[in-house]
Amino acid sequence: MQGSPASRLARDLAAWLVVLVFVFPLFWWVLASVKPYTAIFAQPPVYVDFEATAENYAVTIGGQSRITLEGGVGGQTGGASSYYSLPSIRDSVIVALGSTALALVLATLASFGLSRFAMRGKDHVVFFVLAQRMLPPIAVAIPLFFIFRDLGLRDSHLGLILAHTLINLPLAVLLLKSFFDDVPVELDESAMLDGATRFQVFRMVVLPLVKGGLAATAVLCFIFSWTEFLISLLLTTSIRTIPVKITTFVTSTGTEWGLITALGSAALVPSFIFILLVQKHLVRGLTLGSLKS
Amino acid sequence: MVSTAARGRAPLLPRWLTADHPLPWLAPMFVMILAFGIYPLAYSIWLSLHQRNRFTRVDEFSGLANWVQAFGDQRFIDSLLVTVQYTLTCLVFQVVLGIAIALLLDCERRGYGLLRALMTLPLVVPPAVTGLMFLLMQDGQFGVLSYYLKLIGLVSPEAPILANPRTALWGVMAADIWQWTPFMVLILLAGLRALPKEPYEAAAIDGAGFLQCLWHLTLPMLSRVIAVAVLIRTIDLFRIYDYVYAMTAGGPGTATETLSFYAGRVFGVANFNYAATLSLIMLIVLNVACFTFLKLARVRF
Repeated sequence: MQGSPASRLARDLAAWLVVLVFVFPLFWWVLASVKPYTAIFAQPPVYVDFEATAENYAVTIGGQSRITLEGGVGGQTGGASSYYSLPSIRDSVIVALGSTALALVLATLASFGLSRFAMRGKDHVVFFVLAQRMLPPIAVAIPLFFIFRDLGLRDSHLGLILAHTLINLPLAVLLLKSFFDDVPVELDESAMLDGATRFQVFRMVVLPLVKGGLAATAVLCFIFSWTEFLISLLLTTSIRTIPVKITTFVTSTGTEWGLITALGSAALVPSFIFILLVQKHLVRGLTLGSLKS
Repeated sequence: MVSTAARGRAPLLPRWLTADHPLPWLAPMFVMILAFGIYPLAYSIWLSLHQRNRFTRVDEFSGLANWVQAFGDQRFIDSLLVTVQYTLTCLVFQVVLGIAIALLLDCERRGYGLLRALMTLPLVVPPAVTGLMFLLMQDGQFGVLSYYLKLIGLVSPEAPILANPRTALWGVMAADIWQWTPFMVLILLAGLRALPKEPYEAAAIDGAGFLQCLWHLTLPMLSRVIAVAVLIRTIDLFRIYDYVYAMTAGGPGTATETLSFYAGRVFGVANFNYAATLSLIMLIVLNVACFTFLKLARVRF
């Protein structure tokens, strides 16, 4: 389908147009975060004709008082601390790192077992793990609300880490299994003939060969936890991960679009960096290891 | 380390406790799933079989009363219909747009690598943020999307997209389609890359056109890839919550109230037993649908 220069040009134009349509909401979002208050609400929409400001970031991340903003929602004063979101960013980082680490440890062991041992009913085990992926978050969050209350884990980092780990396990196990399956079993067998134990084979032969896969899995687990909403919403009150925190800026007296877009844009940075790092394994990750690119 | 129990020497441990047996490898994961997956599920079932006495605040066994209540609950039926409509509509849009955009971007020329990378960005935006992103664009007064739709007369100024019961669900679905069409594109691009060249060469000799190749070669050969993508999307679409919470809170009225959102709302008014019942019904419907699909499409993981 190379065709004439004209049809190539038409294809290039169509491709750029489609991608621009998909990038536009992100562009508009980030643009709003550096707009002064009045420019956000201007009609017709303002693209370049405004004076860029970092004030929204100063309030959400720097902790500057909300009152210093020009304009603003009428009658709403004080409450500056409630827009200060650095603690939320910290909560999100703790939960995402913790659940990623825990999911990775459990999944690495389990997927090595699933990849390397012949056992009866292995398909059932894989199915069982996959079935966890079908749990709707609401069905997890409701009982965990009571269980965590009894265990004193409600509204704690550890509780949220455990919940996110559970949700991440199917992805991590199935994905890592596909990476372990890529390493030929003959390598294990020859190492064991040379006297290595099974654990040594795991640690010194196979694990180094799936480093890339481990990194990709870790990144995807991190992104999941970073973006998760419903479980964090129901299981915590004082701990606020970023997606939960940001929805609290929508209030009955008005929506703080400048502050929302600033925090929202900041939250995109780690996700975008990570997704570009794992482009190579992205398809495999998104399909739980069942497809490779 | 237990699992390095020496070979050759007299075994210190039974074999099923050593690293030569799968059990120790799988046990930590199973403990985790049992403690925070299966036990909560059992807890939910227990909750669904009880009702809280308003005065004593004690859960009393009520048999299937909650379950019976659900099937007579018009609001539950409505939310189920909204969820099915949401799932199917988004699925159709995402598959069709996904195929079209994947074909468009499947090109080796300069610049297309960048376009494909840009296309993956929506995937990692927190869905709650995506919801707010589209709320901002669809605002009836200053939303940029509303502005242009008003200009071409598709939206009347008196009926903002998200405040109109007839268009609100479409407004929410726009966020979903924007965020997850790239998922289809990405997976289908990988599928396209893996296709053999020979059938196309043979078809070209026979004079087959683009559409004939697409219908008779590309789509049949991509069917497994499409099946996996559809399965994963269906799971996520059916339990949609974040966009609804951020954009409409189920409104106007209950026009955009999905199953997850209704269950969450019931939970919010402290009717925990009924909320647990609703979430279990959701789980059952989803599992039956997915396992049927897995069997029919013969997808393996």
